[in-house]
Amino acid sequence: MGARGGIWPAVYARMHWILLGLAALLPAVDLLLPPEFRLADLVRPIFIFAVLGMGLNIVTGFTGLLNLGVAAFMAIGAYTYAIATCDIYPFQLGFWTALPLTIAVGAAAGIILGLPTIRLKGDYLAIVTMGFGEMVQDSLKNLDVITKGTQGINPLPSPTLFGYVFKPETPLPWYYLFLALLAVVVLLTRNLERSRIGRTWASIREDELAATCMGINSMKAKLLAFAIGASFCSMAGGLWGAYLGSSGEPGNYDFQISIIALCIVIVGGMGSVSGVLLGAFVMIGFNAILLTKLTAFLAQHGWTSSDNVFTSPSNWKYMMFGLALILMMRFKPEGLLPSRRVKAELHEYDKDVPRQAGGATT
Amino acid sequence: MKCSTFMLGPVLLAAVVLGAQAQSPSTIKIISSLPHTGSANAQTMTMVNGIKLAIEEVGGKVGEFSIVYEPWDDASPERGQWDPAVEAANADKAVADPDIMAYIGTYNSGAAKIAMPKLNQAGLLMISPANTWPGLTKPGVGEPNEPMVYRPSGKVTYFRVVPADDIQGLVAAQWAQEMNCNKVFILHDRELYGQGVASMFQKTAKKIGLQVLGYEGIDPKASNYRSLVTKMKQKRPDLVYFGGTTQTNAGQIAKDLRAGGLNVKYMVPDGCFEEAFIRSAGASNLEGNTFITFGGVPGDKLTGKGKEFYENYKKKFGNEPEAYAAYGYECGRVVLDAIARAGKKDRAAIVAACAATKDFDGVLGKWSFDANGDTTVKTMSGNTVHNGKFEFVKVFGE
Amino acid sequence: MGSEDAEDQREGGRELMTDSEVLLQQVIIGLSNGMIIALIALGYTMVYGIVELINFAHGDLFMLGAFLALTIAGALGLDAVSEGALFSWGILPMFVAAPIFCGGVNWCVDRLAYRPLRNAPRLAPLVSAIGVSFVFLNIGLLWGGLPMEVFNMGQTAAAPKDFPALVSNENLLGESDITLTISQVLVFVITVPLMIGLSVLVRFTRLGKAMRAVAQNPVAARLMGIDVDRVIGATFIIGGALGGVASVVYALYNNTIYFQMGFRVGLDAFTAAVLGGIGNLPGAVLGGLVIGMIRALTDQYIATEWTNVMVFAVLILVLIFRPAGLLGTHAQEKV
Repeated sequence: MGARGGIWPAVYARMHWILLGLAALLPAVDLLLPPEFRLADLVRPIFIFAVLGMGLNIVTGFTGLLNLGVAAFMAIGAYTYAIATCDIYPFQLGFWTALPLTIAVGAAAGIILGLPTIRLKGDYLAIVTMGFGEMVQDSLKNLDVITKGTQGINPLPSPTLFGYVFKPETPLPWYYLFLALLAVVVLLTRNLERSRIGRTWASIREDELAATCMGINSMKAKLLAFAIGASFCSMAGGLWGAYLGSSGEPGNYDFQISIIALCIVIVGGMGSVSGVLLGAFVMIGFNAILLTKLTAFLAQHGWTSSDNVFTSPSNWKYMMFGLALILMMRFKPEGLLPSRRVKAELHEYDKDVPRQAGGATT
Repeated sequence: MKCSTFMLGPVLLAAVVLGAQAQSPSTIKIISSLPHTGSANAQTMTMVNGIKLAIEEVGGKVGEFSIVYEPWDDASPERGQWDPAVEAANADKAVADPDIMAYIGTYNSGAAKIAMPKLNQAGLLMISPANTWPGLTKPGVGEPNEPMVYRPSGKVTYFRVVPADDIQGLVAAQWAQEMNCNKVFILHDRELYGQGVASMFQKTAKKIGLQVLGYEGIDPKASNYRSLVTKMKQKRPDLVYFGGTTQTNAGQIAKDLRAGGLNVKYMVPDGCFEEAFIRSAGASNLEGNTFITFGGVPGDKLTGKGKEFYENYKKKFGNEPEAYAAYGYECGRVVLDAIARAGKKDRAAIVAACAATKDFDGVLGKWSFDANGDTTVKTMSGNTVHNGKFEFVKVFGE
Repeated sequence: MGSEDAEDQREGGRELMTDSEVLLQQVIIGLSNGMIIALIALGYTMVYGIVELINFAHGDLFMLGAFLALTIAGALGLDAVSEGALFSWGILPMFVAAPIFCGGVNWCVDRLAYRPLRNAPRLAPLVSAIGVSFVFLNIGLLWGGLPMEVFNMGQTAAAPKDFPALVSNENLLGESDITLTISQVLVFVITVPLMIGLSVLVRFTRLGKAMRAVAQNPVAARLMGIDVDRVIGATFIIGGALGGVASVVYALYNNTIYFQMGFRVGLDAFTAAVLGGIGNLPGAVLGGLVIGMIRALTDQYIATEWTNVMVFAVLILVLIFRPAGLLGTHAQEKV
């Protein structure tokens, strides 16, 4: 697609701004629709997951480190935000001070995990991040003196901006708050990608050995990717806390969240900012919008019944979700909106049929 | 972006077609927000059936209003259980739809914590067939800021037809004492419900002088609990209490107790009061030494309205109503009753009518809502398992 | 109450277990659980070693095997063994059918979902594997809803199902406080020969040699005339079959199956594979046993709620000092 001439390459390069622009227009379109077709309410979690995806994209998409533990950073963010703002703790910060704090704590957590483990190769690192996710979730449950355990911390005060209070019952200001913050993250990510460190990450992803031979300190660059990625994920957690008005339960940040984040990045297109945006829309929207509407539609027409396991649509949701993932990968393995660099690499692979496999079976 | 246009097209078209139907003044919508996807699906189905039965019994009409019921799912496939995002979206959606007058839900107390403030702000009636965390309604039992934090408008708009866990924990500990079990080991599943009821059990147990040998949280996804059983065996408890549900492996614990040679009494809360518990544990492992507490009396012991419900449900759905079916049915009836007494399609009036529910002739007996929105039913029944069936033993707290 | 007798016996009975008895008991439990984990870990590690894919669907494939076993039990009308009997012969068809089924399904999945992606970006098959795992989960859910003669699985599709105790849970050591059941012995009787057989296969047969060649360098292997796709397919079949055996052993040992059971076991097994050195068969077995032991000992001496944390803490510690796992060695990097 990208190779075609004309306006398309320019459009493609700015796709993320186009997507954000469309999102900005969505509430206006919504006004024309009857309530049951309005989407804006359902889109808010998508923005938060897009921020989460941006964080993972830096680690996995840009730097090529598989991270299966972003749920942990999201949990750390949500709990940091909750502890910083909730009135049962002594801090009681506002949204705009708590959010930077959340980001800083996330970065610190990324460095703490990264320092001892960043040397690990490929999937060894992945499994450590996955283990980290489980450890954080269990620790949040067990340390109930601090975290209230399974109770979760709630409710959290509404954010304010120049005296304006974001109330839960008025969704529109929230919508633009999250969209604006997402736009900031997108801008930052794009700048990072095109900066020196972004090129360093790309060189590590493509060939770490060659990169280090060229004098790049790959440990430092990887650690930085880990920290920045974790800070974005943590920010997503903070926003999530603000959105729910609650830290949620520790069980809400389980392995499935990490899986979803990974799907967002890969389905969207590894290393592609616009891909992550579209990926978040597709992955979160699939259940929140498509499956929900479909179920309601089927129920309305009496095509379903709850007295049999097989005729109840909710019993088929896993199947539809799973098949969608398989089919998407089957037909768009490089993602919906792949980054140009990854696409270029792919074509290189065409000549070099099965990749080299490192592991040895004994 | 291709995707957005792709989706907007049919949506716009459908909007034109359906636009005329929306907002009929004589239609009242009741929705339920319960977890359909994942492991709690079975309980949800019985609750939904109960609600449907209640609506069917009045012919889908209350006064001049026709009642439309939509069961919403608050779980998602990617979570496999209730999903905070979906619950929040459901609450927002319900608030935004002016036809919705009642929100039946939630199943999980954690989900209630998210939906409650949102619905309360909008003055929408919320009534739960299953939330048992005491702090949702009762001051001084849960966290210090509960329950006022769930009522930003200051009014009570949340009600529940199930007795909360403080009552259940109390009754369970007393029952243990009655059976001469003075040394207890308490387990919980580290989830809101299970840990809540286990902590209430522990509190009472300490108060009435039982010796608590241990209080541990298990991993509900573990494949077995044999090492834990060995640990307990060394301490020789008279009774093992597990705060948890069938889904969080209550059956596996029963099995491992027997397989590990720890033949002690085993007590569980109402989350296990379902056929599925017996089926998952294997009847022989429960025979005679398993005790289940439950709010209300079992279906076949019901009288009056309750007996009628028991028969009707069995006839319509072909199986015995379980605990949650009765709660769901009760929720449905309370809502319909409140709408009838309010007599108008107005959220505030319906909430007020619901709060005024008094001496309601329900399946669980005659009861009212107290000032917190709790049912006055405090009847708990003790049950055991005999020949693969629950067997009613006694009633507490009457 | 039915337990009156048992209670009297206990009250008038022996003293508490001694500390060394407790330790011995925990070792027995840890090793039996660890063996099952190891068996599943082998499936992960074989597939990873050869195609570098973390097969997320493996745990759920294992779950399907257990459902097949339960269906066989239902179809044959099997019920728990009577007192005195050691085991029911009804487990034989399970040990035949489940591996064939799981191996076959795994091969089909590779053919349909993973093989078309061999040249795709490295992580694309990972998402396919996640998708397959969701599909399996759904099949398990619906399977649990099938009306069955003996177990009546219907209506409560998602609830845990009782798997009849076809292998006796009676204590072999009689009146002793230490329990060693036939089902625990069975775990070893089945898994140890299987593991030996597998290492013989990989080490000495033509297929085994081909597998090792493909794992080291698929391009070179192809140049040497090895049918790479066939070898990969065989690996999926063997890995799946091991998962199938593991599912029957698991079901007979724990006596409960449910559609989400693949998650924790799968996570443990994958951790075991990494702990031992991914791609390394003895490493996977060692990793499984280590994890089984950590679990049992943490349950006993620390607290159950910290068990999962301990497993991963040990994993991270081991990897800091041995970055390629306990028995793994990093292949020389090629420039």
